Parts: sequence; structure tokens; C-alpha cells
Amino acid sequence: MKEIVLKTEDLCVSYGQKKILKKINTLFEKNKITAIIGPSGCGKSTFLKSLNRTVEEYGGNMEGKIHLNNVNIMDMPLQNLRKSVGMVFQLPIVFPFSIYNNMIYAPKYFGEKKEKLNDIVIKNLKKTGLYDEVKDNLKMMATKLSGGQQQRLAIARCLTVNPEIILLDEPCSALDIKNTANIENMLLELKNEYTIIIVTHNLSQAKRIADNVIFMDEGQIIEEGNQNEMFDNPVNVRTKEYLMYMRN
Amino acid sequence: MKIKDIIFKSWIYISGIIVVVVTFGVFLYFLYKGIKVVTLEFILEAPGGMPLGTEGGVFPAIMGSLMSGLLSGLIGGLLGLCTSIYLVFYCNNKKNQKYMLHALQLLAGIPSVIIGLFGYTVLIVGLGLNKSLISVTLTLTVMIIPFIALRMKKALEETSKDQFICSLSLGIPKGYTIIHLVIPNALKYIMTSLGLGIVFAMGATAPIMFTGAVIIAGVPNKLTDPIMALPYHLYVLVNEGISIEMAYGTAFVLIVLVLLINLICHFIGNFEDV
Ligand SMILES: Nc1ncnc2c1ncn2[C@@H]1O[C@H](COP(=O)(O)OP(=O)(O)OP(=O)(O)O)[C@@H](O)[C@H]1O
Ligand SMILES: [Mg+2]
Repeated sequence: MKEIVLKTEDLCVSYGQKKILKKINTLFEKNKITAIIGPSGCGKSTFLKSLNRTVEEYGGNMEGKIHLNNVNIMDMPLQNLRKSVGMVFQLPIVFPFSIYNNMIYAPKYFGEKKEKLNDIVIKNLKKTGLYDEVKDNLKMMATKLSGGQQQRLAIARCLTVNPEIILLDEPCSALDIKNTANIENMLLELKNEYTIIIVTHNLSQAKRIADNVIFMDEGQIIEEGNQNEMFDNPVNVRTKEYLMYMRN
Repeated sequence: MKIKDIIFKSWIYISGIIVVVVTFGVFLYFLYKGIKVVTLEFILEAPGGMPLGTEGGVFPAIMGSLMSGLLSGLIGGLLGLCTSIYLVFYCNNKKNQKYMLHALQLLAGIPSVIIGLFGYTVLIVGLGLNKSLISVTLTLTVMIIPFIALRMKKALEETSKDQFICSLSLGIPKGYTIIHLVIPNALKYIMTSLGLGIVFAMGATAPIMFTGAVIIAGVPNKLTDPIMALPYHLYVLVNEGISIEMAYGTAFVLIVLVLLINLICHFIGNFEDV
């Protein structure tokens, strides 16, 4: 029995007059990794950003419905939505504070007790495998970490508000093979606890980690389904062409 | 290819050298000329002698310049910061943003003498204020708002836009993000812009001539007192042929003051790194 956490109904997004997403209808399964693939400019990032309404911060306009556990996200307080649906960006974004202060930035705002902050920092750094690397340097400026470490810190920071879903927009595109493998393994661990939606340009990455795949083109979902079926037996011609093209 | 390279490189070096030499040249020249005049009395006494300014010092002018500069820096800095924050983080309507930006650029391009005339017309003639510290301050504020806002906007965009959205994506509201992330993050640039704004205000002569700077006045006690100001005092000393020596002294004091303010702003901006 599939458990659905997130469901979009006729989701449309536009920037001014420009329509970017045209009637997206799809489901996201709990504790699965869903990869979103598709050619550049097709609206993958826009789709991801609309799932926690950050797209509105970029001037985008959303129509249609998105249900998070059967509640329309438009009816939820924005703050609750964004706590439940966390986001990690393409280039690692760390705040110009120490590692420790990056980690407590959000919990502090949400009024976590002082005594609990330490635990939150340690627990979430451990989940991203960063703890052993930085445990003696928690007071170090986060900007001094390597790119891969910064990205893992960004993920750990996103976990500090106890999200249900984590959105990742090409999180490895600025990283080398070793760091990419690191993050992929971590995501495979994290999916036991969280639902993960990841945009990627890298088909082999989708193959390695995704359970489900969504193929988008020109603002629409062309094909979606189980990873194996999609990659081995795509139904749609456009999917076939894209997969062929990306493999060469 | 090679020749081009050499020409280009030497051109860069020569430009660099010119800038450094001119800067230090100007500074050293006034240091040399001014140091003979600038004594403790010069700094701490009011102008005296006949004609006025041939003896004594420039204390009221220092205070007038400092007060009007810092006050307009404070008001203009706050307004400029708010304007830039609005433009970068709150204004999602591209059209409005463009209009505001054009307005700021236009305002920044208006010659200062016209700003002075505007201040005179509105504050002195229109509102019936007398020539005073407050009129000077408000006029200077109008002059430096676009100057500060445009600089801060650039700094905020460069340092904080992505981090701002990242913070929002954690469920944290805009206001908290701006106070706890954006401003600390851009403090360095905010302080440098502010410093430049204050210095720009303190150096301006045209806008204050019409609105409140006078040939002789004490240190202002209240906002409605007229003031002396270093650039205007300098102008009078030279223009009326009163004393070129004293003019050098005044210039020297003004340069040092401006330098100090820049340094202080720089230090406040880099406070956390220390
Ligand atoms: N802030 C914005 N304002 C206006 N148009 C935008 C904005 N952001 C994105 N777009 C447009 O929306 C379309 C989809 O962009 P999006 O970033 O979602 O594509 P993408 O599939 O993520 O591409 P890529 O693989 O290159 O990241 C593009 O045509 C882009 O120009
Ligand atoms: Mg993208």
C-alpha cells in the first residue's frame, strides 16, 4: 500500500505573463526518493520551488492545489509549510556564521530550549555524516568548509526544523565524484526518515538513488513512474529521445 | 599579441600609480600646507580677527559639519537602508522596482546646487524654517539617500539574496531574517556606504549655503540654530581673500575628519572579524 504525502492538482506557475508550469498532476510517496529529470529550462526548479511556495519569493504566481497530508498548502501557515517541506539549493548556501550557529539558527527562532540546542546540532550533523569531520571545530566559520561539507551542512541545517519532505535542486552539480557519492549515500539513509524529492541532470544519479522518476518537458509531466520501468521501458517517445540523448 | 599584452599591462599599472600618487599627493600637500596652521587653538577656538577668519580657529565649523553630517547620515542611512531592503527583498513587482530605481538614479544625478535650491524653497520659503542646522540636515539627507540606497542595494544583492531565500525556506519570516542574517552579513558594506554618505554630506557646499551655513555662528545649541561648516568656511576664506593660510588649515581639518569617519565606519563594519 502506497502512502502519499504530497499531491499536486492542476498546479500552474507563471512569472508575469510567462507560463512555466502547465497543469501538473502528480503524487509523491512517503519515504521514497523521487527524482525529477528533464531538459534545461523545462521548469524542474520552478516545480520544486512551488512545493514549499518559495517560488513566490522569486515573483512567481501559483494556481491549482498542492496537498500535504491532505491539507491544501495554500491554507497552511507559510511557516508550518516551510518547516515541513525543507529545501536545499544547487550551490551550497551556508550562512556566514560558525557551523554551530548555522545549525541553531532556525531552532533558536522556533524557540527551542537552550539545553536542547546541543543535541539538535549533534543529532543532525550525525545524520549527514558531517559530525565526525567537524566535531572539534564547531565554532569554525562555516564558509571555511569545503564545498561538499558546506552542502552537507546545508542539508543538516534543513533537518533542524524536523521536516517531513526534503527538496533538493541539483545538490551535487557543484561537487566532485567523491562528495557526490557521499551525499547520495546519505540520501539513501535519510529516506528512511524523510521523503526526498530531488532534481538532477545526472541520469546515473537518478538510477543510483531514485525509487520513482518524473520526466518533465516544457512545463508538463511527460512520463512518471517506477525507476526501473522508466529507464528500461519508457513509453513516451519524448522520454525515449531524452534518455537516448542523455546516455550519449 | 605580446605587444598588446604589454601595452595593456602598463596601462593598468600606470592608472594604478596615477590614482595612488594623486591621492597621496593631495593629502600630503594639504598636510604640508596645513600643518603649520593647525594647532590645538586652531581646532578648539572660534574664528576671530578682522576681517573675521584671519585669526582664531574653526571649532564651530567642525562641530557644525560633524553635527549636520552625522545627523543626515543617521536619517539618510536609515531611510536608504530601508529603501534598499524594500527594493531587494520586498518588492516583487518588477515594474515598481524599476520605477523606484529610476527615481533613485535620477535623484542621485541631480546637481547638489539644485538640491540646495530645493531645500531652500521647501524648508525656508515654504515651511518658514530659518536658516538652521535642521534645514541643512534635511537638505543633505535628500542628497545622500539615493547615494546610500543605491550602494546598499548592490551590497545586499551581492551578499544576501540567496541566503535570504534559504532562510525563508526554513520557515523563518522576512523580518527576522533581515535583522539576524541580512544586516549582520552586509554590515561591512552597509557601514562603508554610510561612511561615504556622511563624508559626501560633510563635503557638500552648495546645498548648505542656501539652507543654513553662515559666515559666523557658535556651536549650535538647538536644531533651529544656524551653523558654521568647514566647506563653507573654506569657501568664504578663499573667495573673500581673507586668508589662504587659514584655508589650508581648514582643508586639512576637513580631510582628516573625513578620513576618521571612514576609518570608524570601516572598523564598526569589520567588528566581528576582529
Ligand atoms: N525569477 C524568474 N523570473 C522569470 N522567469 C523565470 C524565473 N526563474 C525561472 N524563470 C524561467 O522559467 C523557466 C523554467 O526555469 P527553471 O529554473 O524551472 O528550469 P529548470 O528546468 O530548473 O532548468 P535547469 O535544468 O537549467 O535548472 C525558464 O524559462 C526560466 O527562464
Ligand atoms: Mg533548475
